[in-house]
Amino acid sequence: MLAFSIRRILVAIPTLLIVLTITFVLIRIAPGDPAEVRLGDYASKEAVEALRRQMGLDRPMWVQYLEALKGLLQADFGRSIINGRPISGDLKRALPYTIQLTLFGIIFGALFGIPTGVYSALRRNTLTDYIGRTLSLGGLSIPSFYLGILLMLVFSIHIPLFPVVGGGDIHDLADNLYHLFLPGLTLGLVMTAYVTRMTRSSVLNTLNEDFIRTARAKGLSERKVIYKHLLRNALLSIVALIGVYSIILTGGSVMVEIVFSRPGLGRMMIGALKQRDYTTLQAVMIVFATFVVLINLIADLIYGLVDPRVRRK
Amino acid sequence: MQRLSKGRKLLKTFLRNRTSFIGACMSLALIIIAIFSYWLAPYDPLKQNVYHRLTPPEMIHIFGTDEYGRDVFSRVLTGARISLFVGIVSVALGMIIGTMMGMVAGYAGGKLETAIMRFLDIMMSFPDEVFGVMVMIVLGPGMLNVIIAITILMIPRFARVGHAPTLGIKEMDHIVSAKAIGAGSGRIIIRHILPNIFGDVLVMSSLWLGTAIRLEASLSFLGVGVPPPTPTLGNMVRVGVDFLASGPWVSLFAGLAILFAVFAFNLLGDGLRDITDPKLYAR
Amino acid sequence: MKTIRPSLTIVILLGVLLCFGVQPTSAAKDNVLRIAFDAADITDLHPHFAHTTQDRGVVHLIFSGLVRYKPGDIGEFVPDLAESWEVSRDGLTWTFHLRKGVMVHPWKNNPGYELTSEDVVYSFTSAADKNKSAWAGEYAGMQFKAIDQYTVQVILEKPLSELLFLPKMADYAGGLIIPKKAVEDLGEGFKSHPVGTGPFVFKKYLPKEKVITVRNEKFYRGTPKLDGVEVFYMPDMSSRKFGLQSKELDVIEGPPSQPWVDEMRALRGVEVDVFGPGEAGVLYFNMAKKPFDDIRVRRAIAYALSRDEVVTTIGKAIAAPVFSQIPNPQPGHLTRDEVLLRGKLEEKDYLYEVDRNKAKKLLADAGFPNGLTTTVFMTERGEYAVPFQNIVAQLREAGIDVKVTVVDHPTYHHNIRADMNTIVEYNCWRPTADVRLTHFHHSDSIVKTGKKPITNFMHLGEKDANGDGKVDSVDYQIEVARDLLDSGAQKAVWKETQFKLLDWAVSYPLFIKKFTFARRNNVQWGYDLKSTLILSPQINELTSIK
Repeated sequence: MLAFSIRRILVAIPTLLIVLTITFVLIRIAPGDPAEVRLGDYASKEAVEALRRQMGLDRPMWVQYLEALKGLLQADFGRSIINGRPISGDLKRALPYTIQLTLFGIIFGALFGIPTGVYSALRRNTLTDYIGRTLSLGGLSIPSFYLGILLMLVFSIHIPLFPVVGGGDIHDLADNLYHLFLPGLTLGLVMTAYVTRMTRSSVLNTLNEDFIRTARAKGLSERKVIYKHLLRNALLSIVALIGVYSIILTGGSVMVEIVFSRPGLGRMMIGALKQRDYTTLQAVMIVFATFVVLINLIADLIYGLVDPRVRRK
Repeated sequence: MQRLSKGRKLLKTFLRNRTSFIGACMSLALIIIAIFSYWLAPYDPLKQNVYHRLTPPEMIHIFGTDEYGRDVFSRVLTGARISLFVGIVSVALGMIIGTMMGMVAGYAGGKLETAIMRFLDIMMSFPDEVFGVMVMIVLGPGMLNVIIAITILMIPRFARVGHAPTLGIKEMDHIVSAKAIGAGSGRIIIRHILPNIFGDVLVMSSLWLGTAIRLEASLSFLGVGVPPPTPTLGNMVRVGVDFLASGPWVSLFAGLAILFAVFAFNLLGDGLRDITDPKLYAR
Repeated sequence: MKTIRPSLTIVILLGVLLCFGVQPTSAAKDNVLRIAFDAADITDLHPHFAHTTQDRGVVHLIFSGLVRYKPGDIGEFVPDLAESWEVSRDGLTWTFHLRKGVMVHPWKNNPGYELTSEDVVYSFTSAADKNKSAWAGEYAGMQFKAIDQYTVQVILEKPLSELLFLPKMADYAGGLIIPKKAVEDLGEGFKSHPVGTGPFVFKKYLPKEKVITVRNEKFYRGTPKLDGVEVFYMPDMSSRKFGLQSKELDVIEGPPSQPWVDEMRALRGVEVDVFGPGEAGVLYFNMAKKPFDDIRVRRAIAYALSRDEVVTTIGKAIAAPVFSQIPNPQPGHLTRDEVLLRGKLEEKDYLYEVDRNKAKKLLADAGFPNGLTTTVFMTERGEYAVPFQNIVAQLREAGIDVKVTVVDHPTYHHNIRADMNTIVEYNCWRPTADVRLTHFHHSDSIVKTGKKPITNFMHLGEKDANGDGKVDSVDYQIEVARDLLDSGAQKAVWKETQFKLLDWAVSYPLFIKKFTFARRNNVQWGYDLKSTLILSPQINELTSIK
């Protein structure tokens, strides 16, 4: 297991290198100049040139690239070219908010999505199934920012239960959870929709497998069939797919962070893009990619836990 | 002869399957409305009347007017056309390029396969919104650029759909024998492999069309979508949420239209999957 | 299959909801003012670099200047760190007498200290250094001397009128005083840990979220009524609105748009402040690009446009028409009557009231009987794009087809400075008439080719503007006015200069657009908010929450 994890992490290194390269190139192709952004429309060309020198943007591309590369290898992203603060510090602050939000979404999704999906599949083509499917399709169809705003409107404005501004104090758990609930619910509902759908189809697929028929033929009680055979097997593909959908969720978190003004990674990224903060953007993209690599790794590990066959391989 | 009857049988199943039937009807209605939006819209969707701002729905403006006094109904119709256009074109392009890449990679094997699939994996390791925004910042705002961005997001997905089955199909007897008699690679891919995976590709196109429409809205929300005054469902919702107290109708109808559209294509895709998936089809 | 019940799911959901919901909304009743800006984050809190509205919102809580603009009214100066000042007879030496007992905020382990002339000299010397300030140009050729602990002298190379000199010494940009010891101690860190002498003390900065300040107990004008101010960064307009509605925020920045003002006024317990000075929107025509080298084409565009329609598009509560390059209320502007009267006297037209037939005729004379087409870049940012959409619609009716390529805001600024636009819309406020005229009309400021390229998009001073075949320029007038000491004479020269600009139709002044903020109605500024240079309401020792 350990060897497996280490190998997977090693394989991820070239991925991160390519991510860095893509980001490095794309943001520099993008029109607009960080020095101009920083100084504003009042500044003279002279001042902009001076600042460009100060930011180190007048150096050849390859020098800047090597520096970025060095930063990646040392896991030290240096300083933001816009505000000069160490990027690692900002990342350290932003990461917990995003991880909290995504985790909440995944757990919520699994907690409500799996039972609903199983139920829907077992009651295939009944009214409950149709309602469940319609709702989960609805969940897939609604853009997460719109859902977030609607929830805000209902649970913060009309029924003033939850706050709408910020992520709360990270050191105060109660305050933190309190601020997490609505944005978490937004992502959680979207996730529930995905999980319900795939649980349903995976249970339906498994129901058709020979071993279920055999089990039934053997005269096992329906309860036993479902718990011992069906769920156990269906769970496999569900775990694998939750990994995939977590990536989708990370994307959704960007928008939810903006709607709820949470100081997370997504806001950091959008801010860096708008300000053309090259160094910060490179760092955020690396973190996003690492995030995805890790999620996949965890999904694989859990997969191994549930299904010993994978582990042996 | 045999093929035709198989097709007819499929069509029959398709019509009998409730999901796909409803999905198809909704999608068709949407497409018809989009195509004829120019004639259906009672007003010019760009015509401003700043003296008649944010008026609630009434007889002359059945969906009300927006913050520039433009007719929301006309804008929703036109917006649906543009959003649908963006979605269909980018999914079609993504489908063609992606499926091709996947099939070529699967068929060629070796280093080429590793290179293509690794690269696409890396592209998939960015969340859609993250990569989409990045592409939009590089290209700048504009409808064409939104299409390019969504196409880029669609390519790796379709490549995976095209790749996996190709691996199995290329080992099949009739392909091996076709190769033996000297059929070119291009010919084999188009004539023998493509028909086998076309069903899957079609199903996924329908599902991802919904995703594409939602992505357009998300990009608009992040401020990098199709710029105003051109209406799209996404930028109408975006602008409308700023006027929820004084004019909720501005975002409501566009939001419902997005829901309707994504719902329709997902339903259609689900239905198509039900009937093309032989396992489920058997029952 | 009785183990998984949908009702169970609902019960759990409700349970969770209740667990979370027991706390009341944190509509905190503490005495802290929470203000949210339309921005993702701060850029720089060093006052000599801070130029964005969100940065200035913080900087002005923390720093002060020798003199200050009267709160809420930029038309008047009042003493602040300097109790009094005088100018020598030759106009070259200004002497400032500092207030005694002004304490610099404590920082890190340092308890703070009394601000003296040493700090003031240090601050201005730093503001004049191009590597340490974005406003170095403003202080070129000035010397700063500490005469004694509480007296500072500023020695000029050339005399300046009070109208042009005092803004440089006031509580704005380079005039904000940074304390020597704190800057030297904090180094690079100063820009995210500002230390000054203002009513509020910097406490904490949470990236992408907020800046927390607390009241300066030892503030020299009196202890502030508020316990503190928290400045939030919320780039999404509806999030700010919801925050205000849920009472988590007290003040929010709004876009200058009529629908937004109406939306806010529709909310209970919310009031909207509309204040100046406002940004003047002017169209500049690029004479280096055909056919805008032809005065008839430029005049045709002027006649094709109705200022009233543009103003209505932005909103009458926010915008008003302007008739000269220097906008009303800045000293040196022309009023409608002045422009009209002068035109009548000279049998000319400086007003360019909308007349589309005249526009078409001028176009035909210039060789475009079927109208003309031009392509421009335009930013996606609403404050530019909204009026421009209307301008394009109006020009179309006169047969002028403007094809717009939308780009993001930094790109727009980059492109217009790279001489890529034929018509440039530029909305801004400049501190004095001299700065505006110099930056936009002096030949040194011509984009790309000027000696100090800034924002002369017209190539004025390099091209023939009136059609007589000779190069036209207003450099001389601008320079003469700058050196005049009598502000009456100065204004007269500025006005003359603008009549020339209007006659040549090198640019077309359209509107002045004010700024909008919404607040909970229990917030009181403590002064009459008419105009402020920092473009957001100043929060000072008199501001309170009832």
